[in-house]
Amino acid sequence: MNNMIELSDVSYSYEGTPALKNITLRIEKGESVALMGMNGSGKSTLLKLINGILFPDSGTYRFAGEKITHKKMQDPLFSKRFHQKIGFVFQNADTQLFCADVYDEIAFGPRQMGLDEDETEKRVEDCLSLLSIEALRHRQPYHLSGGEKRKVAIASVLSLNPEVLVFDEPLLGLDPRTQRWFVSFLMKLHEAGKTLLVSTHNLEMVQEMAERAVLFDESHTIAADRPAGELLKDVDLLIRTNLVDEYYHHHPGAGHQHFHIHPF
Amino acid sequence: MPEWLLKEEQYEPIPDRDSFIDKSILSLLGILSRIRAQSGIPSGKHFVHAPFKVACTFLLVILLSLSKSLFFILTINVALLAATSLLPADKIFHILKAGFAAALFTLVILLPSAFWGNRYGIVMLPLKVFAAVTAVNILSRTTQWRHITGALKTFFLPDIFIFVLDITIRYIFMLGEFSLPMLYALKLRSVGKNNRKYASLSGITGTMFIKSKEMAEEMNAAMECRGFTGEYRKSGRIRMNWADAGYLLVHILALLIFLYLG
Repeated sequence: MNNMIELSDVSYSYEGTPALKNITLRIEKGESVALMGMNGSGKSTLLKLINGILFPDSGTYRFAGEKITHKKMQDPLFSKRFHQKIGFVFQNADTQLFCADVYDEIAFGPRQMGLDEDETEKRVEDCLSLLSIEALRHRQPYHLSGGEKRKVAIASVLSLNPEVLVFDEPLLGLDPRTQRWFVSFLMKLHEAGKTLLVSTHNLEMVQEMAERAVLFDESHTIAADRPAGELLKDVDLLIRTNLVDEYYHHHPGAGHQHFHIHPF
Repeated sequence: MPEWLLKEEQYEPIPDRDSFIDKSILSLLGILSRIRAQSGIPSGKHFVHAPFKVACTFLLVILLSLSKSLFFILTINVALLAATSLLPADKIFHILKAGFAAALFTLVILLPSAFWGNRYGIVMLPLKVFAAVTAVNILSRTTQWRHITGALKTFFLPDIFIFVLDITIRYIFMLGEFSLPMLYALKLRSVGKNNRKYASLSGITGTMFIKSKEMAEEMNAAMECRGFTGEYRKSGRIRMNWADAGYLLVHILALLIFLYLG
């Protein structure tokens, strides 16, 4: 069985307000999946649930075949093993950085895992180079720009070498160049065999970020779960789920195709 | 891609005492949900207006402090318990818990004086404390905080003072909302043994200070852009309704009992 993440009929509500309704979703090892949907459709809640921050009101969640429950997560050893296997990059990078400098931020995970200082240093240097942030090594995280903070946050999670990487709106607030860099970075991670789960509103880049797309609708259920390219072509469905308006289209026949909106 | 990233991590965590993260998350969640629940408290033209509630609660606390009559204090206690019983179960629990805790604490503090023959104080003071804490808690649990701060306008408090109170409550909530994901992030990345636990927590606190400073500066700039010159005007006009009249009547009755019994 290759199922990494398995949600069966999962529902969750915030003090009576539903956030997820009857979600059934399977993600296999090595897959890259994009979560799409309008604001408030439940994407971030689902990511928190998958990361063991929240727990379903009903239904079951299995990670690598193991059922994840509140009770099980109370066991510190189980919880730590689980959190090492799944890394979560938060929507707001500010909230993820709490160490004195970038080096310590990235070294936090490996040091926790008990790796010796040589191995920790190697991991930190590799992560710095992979994310092209070598120059930030001794900078304080809160003095960095938005894009730099995002890269440090990714590096701090990557140094744990998790099997699954979860990104909540990773392109939000990034300039176009950094967005493009991020997409190619995701492709590298995918090629390295990592399982990727990305929530995004950026339809232009979904197809490049993920091979499969899951679309949420206003009623907090899954409206579609298809290959990303196929789902993006279903404009009627995207309009029905309030993700785009009627001006959203693409030009068939062009060498490189993507969906966009012309200025009025 | 570095070699270690291509391999599956064979990692077995070692035990560590780090339940403080979970406890911090739970206590923060409790505060945030309390503030969030505040905005759900019903209010409107058919409910007692906040200025009356604030004034009457203040009056009640003064009367309780001044009274020497056990009958008066018992009457107020019974009336407050009756009022509490009309509220939802969770509110009853929290109001009574705070009242009993404060009364018990007073009782313990007064025990030595009881051994010296002061029987009056050991009965009266815990009852007074219970009634006063319950009255204030009923006010707090049945009135939105923004209405309470707004009600201060009726008592001729400067608008800028009310504004600072409003902003303080808002900031407690916003910074709480900001610090929650930080604690989650710390928990998610705490996958082993952390020998510098308090350094991580102080890192979170430091980031919070910086964030609150940045937010304050941005807000200051935004307010200046909107023409703020240091004056903040809040409307204090209210139209009395039947609920207000009934509420005032009960408190006038309490005042009369106090004047009669002392």
